[in-house]
Amino acid sequence: MDAEKTMGRYLKRIGIFVLALSAMPAAAATHFVVVGGLGGERDYAERFAQEAEDLAETATGTVGAEQVALLKGAGATRQALEQTLTDLVAAAKAEDAVVVYLIGHGSFDGKDYKFNIPGPDITAARLAQLLDNIPAERQLVVNMTSCSGAMLETSMQKDGRIIITATKNGRERNATVFSRYWTTAFEDAEADVDKDESITVQEAYDYAVGKVDTFYKSAQRLATEHARMEGPGPETFLLARLGKNAALALDPELAPLFKRREELRMSIDALKLRRDAMDEDSYFDELQTILLQLATVDIQIENAQGNPDEGTTPQQ
Amino acid sequence: MKLYAAVLIALSAVAPAAAGVYGDDRGARPAALEPCDALYDKGDRVQARACYSGLLESSDLALRAEAWWGLDNFKQANDVFREALKVHPDNADLRVRWGYLFEQTYNPEEAVQLFKEALGIDEDNVPAQLGVAMVMAKRFDPKSKASVEEVIAKREDLILGHLLIARLALEDHELEVAEEHLQSALQKVEADGRSPLETYSLLTALDLLREIPVSQSEWTARALAYNPVYGQIYSDVAHFYVITRRYREAIEMYEQAVEVDPQLYSAHADLGVNLLRENRDKEAYAHLEIAFKGDPFSAKTVNTLRLVDSFDNFKLYSNKDDLLSRGEEAVRAAIDTPHVILRLHEKEAELLRPYAMALSEKAAVSFSKKYNFKPTRPIYVELYPDHDDFAVRTMGMPGVGLLGVTFGYLVAMDSPSSRGPGEFHWGTTLWHEMAHVFTLEATNHLVPRWYSEGISMYEEWEARPNWGERIMPDFIDAFTEDKLLPVATLDRGFMRPTYENQVVVSYFQAGLICQMIDRQWGADKLLRLLEAFAKDTPTAEAIQQVLEIAPEEFDKRLLVYIKELLGPLAEKQGLQHWRAEMKQAVAAAREEKWDDVVAPATRAKELYPDFTQSGNPYVMLAEVHEKKGERNAAIGELLGYFQRGGREPDELKKLAGWLDEAGRREEATAVLDELLYVWPADEELHADLGDWMLADNLNQEALREFNVLLSMNPHDKAATYFRLAETYHKMNDSQRARRNLLMSLEIAPTYKPAQRLLLEIAR
Repeated sequence: MDAEKTMGRYLKRIGIFVLALSAMPAAAATHFVVVGGLGGERDYAERFAQEAEDLAETATGTVGAEQVALLKGAGATRQALEQTLTDLVAAAKAEDAVVVYLIGHGSFDGKDYKFNIPGPDITAARLAQLLDNIPAERQLVVNMTSCSGAMLETSMQKDGRIIITATKNGRERNATVFSRYWTTAFEDAEADVDKDESITVQEAYDYAVGKVDTFYKSAQRLATEHARMEGPGPETFLLARLGKNAALALDPELAPLFKRREELRMSIDALKLRRDAMDEDSYFDELQTILLQLATVDIQIENAQGNPDEGTTPQQ
Repeated sequence: MKLYAAVLIALSAVAPAAAGVYGDDRGARPAALEPCDALYDKGDRVQARACYSGLLESSDLALRAEAWWGLDNFKQANDVFREALKVHPDNADLRVRWGYLFEQTYNPEEAVQLFKEALGIDEDNVPAQLGVAMVMAKRFDPKSKASVEEVIAKREDLILGHLLIARLALEDHELEVAEEHLQSALQKVEADGRSPLETYSLLTALDLLREIPVSQSEWTARALAYNPVYGQIYSDVAHFYVITRRYREAIEMYEQAVEVDPQLYSAHADLGVNLLRENRDKEAYAHLEIAFKGDPFSAKTVNTLRLVDSFDNFKLYSNKDDLLSRGEEAVRAAIDTPHVILRLHEKEAELLRPYAMALSEKAAVSFSKKYNFKPTRPIYVELYPDHDDFAVRTMGMPGVGLLGVTFGYLVAMDSPSSRGPGEFHWGTTLWHEMAHVFTLEATNHLVPRWYSEGISMYEEWEARPNWGERIMPDFIDAFTEDKLLPVATLDRGFMRPTYENQVVVSYFQAGLICQMIDRQWGADKLLRLLEAFAKDTPTAEAIQQVLEIAPEEFDKRLLVYIKELLGPLAEKQGLQHWRAEMKQAVAAAREEKWDDVVAPATRAKELYPDFTQSGNPYVMLAEVHEKKGERNAAIGELLGYFQRGGREPDELKKLAGWLDEAGRREEATAVLDELLYVWPADEELHADLGDWMLADNLNQEALREFNVLLSMNPHDKAATYFRLAETYHKMNDSQRARRNLLMSLEIAPTYKPAQRLLLEIAR
């Protein structure tokens, strides 16, 4: 087992534990801003609007409608976007997280990246300025447009901010398919690699990148987009909770069980770190012991609701 | 050899350096070279080198270039020719000679360019015309013979022209024509006192084709008496073995060539390439290294050496591996099972191995029985993910458009990943090539090309109803235009096609011949014919002997058979009618007038049911029915497409999904199973197929699918380990079930289905 990977998962456990708690009232919140930009052609316009709606719906299911702003079609103007981000200056606290999804077309003239929206476009520099004003220390910008990689060549980067772009630079100008797979990452059980019914930035990114690669290979087309991700802690940045866990995690009565659950998961991660020093049989014996305890706790959580969750099977 | 490409076997080994033996046949050369050439021709290499070296200080750039060439320093020769042309840009002769240098050093494109430039300056330049014709002949261009004849018509005394025509005639087994031209060439060289060596070479080849062994041919003796180090004579003869796929005899010839002339690097290279075809890799490498040291400019040598080096990236698997662990029954079965060894690239070895091994073994068992031949050596089956590697393996040069080639006990072919999804059916290609192993080896490689290809095509069609290539419009055109060749001369359709796609047409004709023999005389006659060919019986005689019918009558019967098979397409206007219907259907579909698509598309489908290529009516009709909410009708159309050999992965996956939704799981599984032989690099395919198989208690098959899925390093590993755990659990293998379950939960500790199974197992 690769120690670095194990540590990554260990960190994810801690992160999700924190976020699970933070999802409770009065704790840290995550604010989503979803923008579906200009399509140009009818097919693109419909696709971008649909993807924006789907992402907003997923976000709503996780954090509630009050923390999700959806701008699309004629309403996705620069003024509206600037206002939405400006509103977050007051609404988002330092311990909060802000997520911005940009879907559509972008352009790059060698100097400035522009996100194509009705009316005047908005530049990467202006977006950076608006985001810099928001006190939330954890920020995620997923720019799924053509030329989006140019954003990484500007001054968008900031401590605590993750930036994902659909293209590696501003010269990849063709319309992208990245947004299609970023959207389906929250619908496809395959994306939830650790089957914890939650999707992190890392999981969504890996899923989308893999699907984009398969798309171009299957279509026998030269890939015209190569996604990039920069910034800290994507494996601990929770984007969506799926299934009934989302609701269960909000129940204060179940807090002790959730606490025990996370302790057991951390034990597993700690065991993984010791794996190289153990013989294989001992490792798996010990792993099984913890896993059985964990399974028992999960059943208790389900039973507490009186309606066991069937979970996600591979056949689905 | 599998379909689709012109045969690009190199015509012959290159001529010895700076022969100068034909005076100006290969272009005008300075007279000062003549004494050096004479020494070279007589085999006095040391004196020849000294002689050429003495010319290196000449102020005549053309002479200096030729002298470097004589010293085998092709790079210097090339540089000096370039320099000379700067000084004499309008000199056609210089361009011709430079062109021949390129021609000798494996760069026919540059050679032709220079010949054409020379002809631009002097349109009557005969050596330039001959140069173009020579390159065409080496590419098996059907117009090459006419080109040479055109040149000879202008200059009857052109020895090289006669030799070229003789060579083409020998390749076509037109021995009398060859002899006539060789005699003309011989008289001329003797009269002019010029080197007879190349003429002797072809006369030896003529003797060989008349069953006089090389060692007993007077021309071999004469050549070696004239030049004791003229190993080229064996190399030239080897060519005629290579083009008839008698690689073992060719190897013997090349071995003699390098024994007589250890510096004949082209023969070392050819020996290496042919030893590889016999799976004698170490010996091959040794000769290729010698060839490279002597002639580092040979792309064929360099490419082949690189390929052999890349074998480190391949894995070998034998069907006799781990026999003991597979139990007594497996050991008993293995005794009579031919030995198959797979060579697969490590990046896709685990993906392809189960299917390629099972299919190769099944083919070997089936053909061994049917053609009454037990392989005496292991059959190597190689699948190349890089098409150029496959091309180098087969021809020594990249750029060949074939899908697979069999050299006897070696099958080399493209792996599915070398091309795009659905571009070819690798399963049917492998089946085709495996049939060649048996037709070649059962006859000690004496089987005529047409029969070997015919059996392979026929066996593809026999393997599964939807396998094999479907009759193509080119074949239908050839049939209606009376272009099919008589069976007695069908080999020419492969060797020297006279119209575009005649090779493809010949494949179909050969396959249909074998099918007709099976249907009308019985499959045992196919074996009897093979036995006749093993005795080197000519085709016409074999047909008469085995089928008791005159070849001419056989040809007539074939036309009737094909006419019945093609139905309305056999009529002169048949294809035109079909095209008109297709055009109408496509136009309606383009305008989204779905109701107007149905009638013409249905008529097109009935006229030409085997047309399943892009734009076929089945897919068109399925789309229309689906749009109209007629799912069952849509399934019917896609099933028709599938059963007729349609293999577009997206369409087949759609069909499988629809069938599954309709509760027709068995048919759905069959469709996905077929996809394994079209485009196996699809995680979803293995996951779905495995799930369905597991649900239907096909546990072993499901296990295969999930193991393959795991080898693809899937995104969702936890689910894959869980699938394996479930399968082992069903198979009552609790140890493996537990281990896979724990590996699943190690990645995804709260994965509910896995947790439930763990609790169940722990209980």
